[in-house]
This record gives sequence, C-alpha cells and structure tokens, in this order.
Amino acid sequence: MHNESAVRKPQRSYANGLALVCLAFIAILYVLSDYGPGAIIADPRLQIFKTVFVSIILETMPFLWIGVFLSAILHVYVPDRLIQRMIPRNPILGIIAASVLGIVFPLCECGIVPAIRRLINKGMPVYAASTFILVGPILNPLVFWSTFTAFRGRPEIAYGRMGLAFIVALIVGLIVYRFVRSNPLRVRENRDHEHDHSHENNKLAAVMGHAINEFFDMGKYIVFGAMIVGLLQTFVSQTDLASLGQASGSANALMMGLGFILSLCSTSDAFVAQSFVTSFSGGALIAFMVFGPMINLKGVLMMSAVFKTKFVALLVSLVVILVYAGTFVLDYVFLK
Amino acid sequence: MSKRNYEIVHQGSRAVIVTGFACLMLVLLLSGNILLYIAPHLILYAWLAVIFLVAAAGFQSYLFIAAVKGSAVDCACDGDHGHDRAPQLYSVRRSVFVFVLFAIPLLLGTLLPNSALAGSLAQNKGMNLGALPTGRGAAGADLVEVDGNQDPALKQLFKTDVYNRDYAKLGMLLYGQDVIEMKDEWFIEKQQALNLFADSFKGKTIRITGFVYREEGLSDSQFIVGRMAMTHCIADISPYGFIVDSPDAAQYADDTWITVTGTIDQTDYHGQKVVKIVIGSAEPASPAKIPYVYPDWNFASKL
Repeated sequence: MHNESAVRKPQRSYANGLALVCLAFIAILYVLSDYGPGAIIADPRLQIFKTVFVSIILETMPFLWIGVFLSAILHVYVPDRLIQRMIPRNPILGIIAASVLGIVFPLCECGIVPAIRRLINKGMPVYAASTFILVGPILNPLVFWSTFTAFRGRPEIAYGRMGLAFIVALIVGLIVYRFVRSNPLRVRENRDHEHDHSHENNKLAAVMGHAINEFFDMGKYIVFGAMIVGLLQTFVSQTDLASLGQASGSANALMMGLGFILSLCSTSDAFVAQSFVTSFSGGALIAFMVFGPMINLKGVLMMSAVFKTKFVALLVSLVVILVYAGTFVLDYVFLK
Repeated sequence: MSKRNYEIVHQGSRAVIVTGFACLMLVLLLSGNILLYIAPHLILYAWLAVIFLVAAAGFQSYLFIAAVKGSAVDCACDGDHGHDRAPQLYSVRRSVFVFVLFAIPLLLGTLLPNSALAGSLAQNKGMNLGALPTGRGAAGADLVEVDGNQDPALKQLFKTDVYNRDYAKLGMLLYGQDVIEMKDEWFIEKQQALNLFADSFKGKTIRITGFVYREEGLSDSQFIVGRMAMTHCIADISPYGFIVDSPDAAQYADDTWITVTGTIDQTDYHGQKVVKIVIGSAEPASPAKIPYVYPDWNFASKL
C-alpha cells in the first residue's frame, strides 16, 4: 500500500479506523441481540443490510478497477508533466477544460478519485483536479440523459442540475487556484518516483503491482463507506427523513443531507429524486442531485485517502455553501 | 514478526481477498443471482470486474509464492513493504485490519442466502404511486397531439405537452388493449402513462402482479400492490405501485404476492390525485425469482 515513512500519522488513523469498525459491529450485534441467535440470520434487517452492503461493493467493483488501472498506467507509462503541457495555462481555461473532461471520460467518482492523484503527480494543476472531481460525475451525457428522462415533464430540472454543477465546480476551482498554495496530496505516494521502470517486462508487473496496491488503498474506504450506507438504509427511513423538512430552506439542506448519506451513483440518483417530486421543490431536488454526486459519504472517504483532511474539509464546506445558495437562487429565479 | 513472515502474511492475505472476490462475483454471475444485487445493464461491467480480479488474483498469488520462497519481486513497487526498514508493529496490524475489513462483505456474501428485497424495504423508502409533480400542467400551455395516423378522437384524448408525447403514445397503445397488463417490461412507464391520462383510462380493466404493502393514510378497505424498481443497484431501489380498493382488504397479508384484476379509477391520497384499482378478482401469485423492474429510458423508440 503506502509508505511507512510517512511519519507516525497512519498509525493513529488506522487504530481509529479499527475502533470505528469495531463500534459498528458492536452496534449491529446490539441491535440484533434483541432477537435470539436463531432469529438473527432470518431477521429481515440483516438481509437488507447485507444486500445493500454487498450490492454497493459489487456495483463499484468494475469502476474501481478501471480507475486504479488507469492510475497505474498513467503512473508507469505517461511521462511526468505531460498533462501540465496539455492543460491550458490560463486558470479559467484550465478549469473549463477540466469540467469538459467529464464529457470525454464519463467516469463516476469511484473511477475518478483513484486516477486524480496520478493526474496531479503528472502535472495537472490542483484547481483543475478539484474541478474535475466535482463536476466529472455530473456533467456528462449519461447523467444528463437520465435526469432528462426522469423529469420528462420538467426539462428545466436537468438543465438546472447541469448548470449549477458547472458553476459550483467553476467557483470552487477558482477559489482553490487563488488560495491553495501548498500541496494538498497526502505525502505517502511521493516516494514512488524513486523507482525506475526501465524494462518493458517490469513495466507490466509495475502496472499490476500499482493497480493492486491502489485497489486495496481505495477499496477499504469503499467497503467502509458501503457498510455505513448499508446501516443507514437499514435503520433510517427515507420517508421519515423526508417529512422532517418541507419548508423551502430546510428542504434544500435536508435533500443535500440525504444525497450525502445515500451515496448513489450520479446516473441513478435522478430516479430516486423523482420519487420525491411530489413533496419537494425543484430546487431541493437539484440540491440532492448536485450535492450527492459531488460530496457523499463514500466519496469523501475515498477523497481522504488521496487528499489531506484539511483540503477535503475545504472542498466539502465550499460545496455545501455554494450548492445551498445556488439552489435558493434557482428556486426563486428560474423554477418559480 | 520477521520481515519475511510479515511479507508472507501481507501478500497471502491480499491474494485470498482478491481471489475471494473473483470467486464470489463469478458464482453470482454464473447462477444469475447477480441480478439480486445489480441491474442487468451492469452485468457486462461485472464481467469486466471479474477479468480484472482474476488477473489480480494471478499476480498476487505470484507475489505470495515469491514471498514464501523468500525472493523479493523487485519492480512490484509495493511502496508498502518498506524496503530496508524492519516492519513495524502497526503495519502488521494494518494488514490485518484491511484483511478483516475486506473479509466482512466476502463472508456476508458467501454465508448468508441471496434474497430479494420487497416490502420490508419499501417501508423505508416510501411508495411511489405515480402522482404528478406539483405545479405541472398549471400553465396548461401548448398541448400537442402525437404524430401518426391514429383515430383523431383518440389523439384528442391523449393531448399533452411536448415532453410527455412518449407517454401519450404509450397511453394510446394501452388504451387499445382489452386488459392492461402490468408486466415487468415498462412497469414504471405504464404507471406514469396511466396517471397522466387517468381520466381517459377510467373504467378500463387492468391486471397487475406484485407484493401487498400498507402504509399510513390508507383506509381499511385499501392496500397497495407494488413492485420494486432498480436503476443500478439495491442502494437505489424504490417501490412503485397502485392503491387497490377491496371490501375484504384485510385478508391479503403484507409482503405476499398476488395478482389483481380490476378497473381503473382515481382517488385522492395525501392530497395528490392518483390512479387506483377497484378490485374485481384476486389470486395468489408466486414472486418472480428476480422480482425487480427496471426503468427503460428509451421505451418510446420501441413502441
């Protein structure tokens, strides 16, 4: 996986992770212990948890592998700084180029996040990378098409989703360009550059080796995220949540929270949003469909494998503020 | 633990995990049970994952064997096994932690039976009865007829705004049928069409098979017959259904599968107008092995 020389920090974070998993298990056991040992296996809630948990992992698996292989190939075959030469120098052009990248490579976040560290190492500016992470899962033809079909009678929702995602990512990119000076990557990957991949034969082995390393590196966050999503889907009722906030202000925040918790793929969340169409405003639905794919439980865990916690926190807070404000504007100006 | 032993444990546990996932996915794919987890259009991707996993399992086993033999594989660039440093305690602990974490879904997936989720999850998700979005049609502007050379009177019945023309076409097709059958194909699309043109469908005969479901707000003589719709995977399934009016509603237990034949009518439910079915006859049905329905983005081109 990664480098032990990265001081002593990992030690603590893994102990914390272990403690969290243990706590989760104690919680499961506690809940299930009400029902005798025989009933545990038959308990429908265990079935729901298991099915959601395994389902998310199975669904993510191909895209994760695409991402880690892309990353490994980039690392081994693409010369450093090549991407720097391809991305326009002008930050605004660079950010716009990064937003359009999603149209060319329609990848979801499970594929983008593993590749992004390599892209940054290969010279992609951090502001362009941040833009790509945020907008890549939304601004692509598949997502537009699925949103458009789910809200057939209201095409403004599909346009609003695309537009807001683009603007939010653009602003975040500019803020990162202006204010983030230090390297936001976690340090541990840097020593990779010491290696010399000279022989063709070894290069293939190197691709395999890197891909497997990264699979475990990213995979553990996905497994952990899927576990939490499974628990939430089992024990938290979507309808109860939805009935919490119907007023315009709280509704938008609530739907953002729901998007965060559910961690759905951006191509499938439009149909879930559709089931809320009778009780929520267009702005709240767009909040769900813009915030969810950008910032969600599974994704944030994956991002924190690549970026320093401070940088992830910055991204999350920026997106929270911008999406919330943006959907308000949408509600009052465009979707009246 | 010596460096060599650590290396053996580390590479071995990884080989086990990757091989385990390859086997789990392969078994699910070959048995068809994969459809209990993901939607059919993702099966191709699942095979892709199997290819990646098998390749990784092969390579990882090679690393493991190399570790057992004590020969380091040089260019694997395993940034993890700290080339010249003695392995420290926490890296062993970390390996074990990662192994356990990955083993949990593998064990759950292997040991617990694969089962379909129906009513038990609908309770958490909220039933979708096809009510029209608020605010739609208020403008009432620009209703258009569909193209084609059908009966003008029929076209008049299915006038709608431009975005719903596909549903109008589907509606006209359904209108021509003696019994509207709610089968797996286009379940959601048909539900939408029926709700959009509820007035035109009033009194038509409909037959539907699904699970029985109840929630707050239904009267004693009502229950819901529903299906679960999946877009990508279980995490995004949501239930779609119809309210059924039946004088002896109490005899149908939750989560049982029935086939209902009845006539279409309309009702108010939580302040929304939705289609309901007035029961004619009902008989028990066996649930499909893969009980999910899937939205078809492209149904209009197949009409």
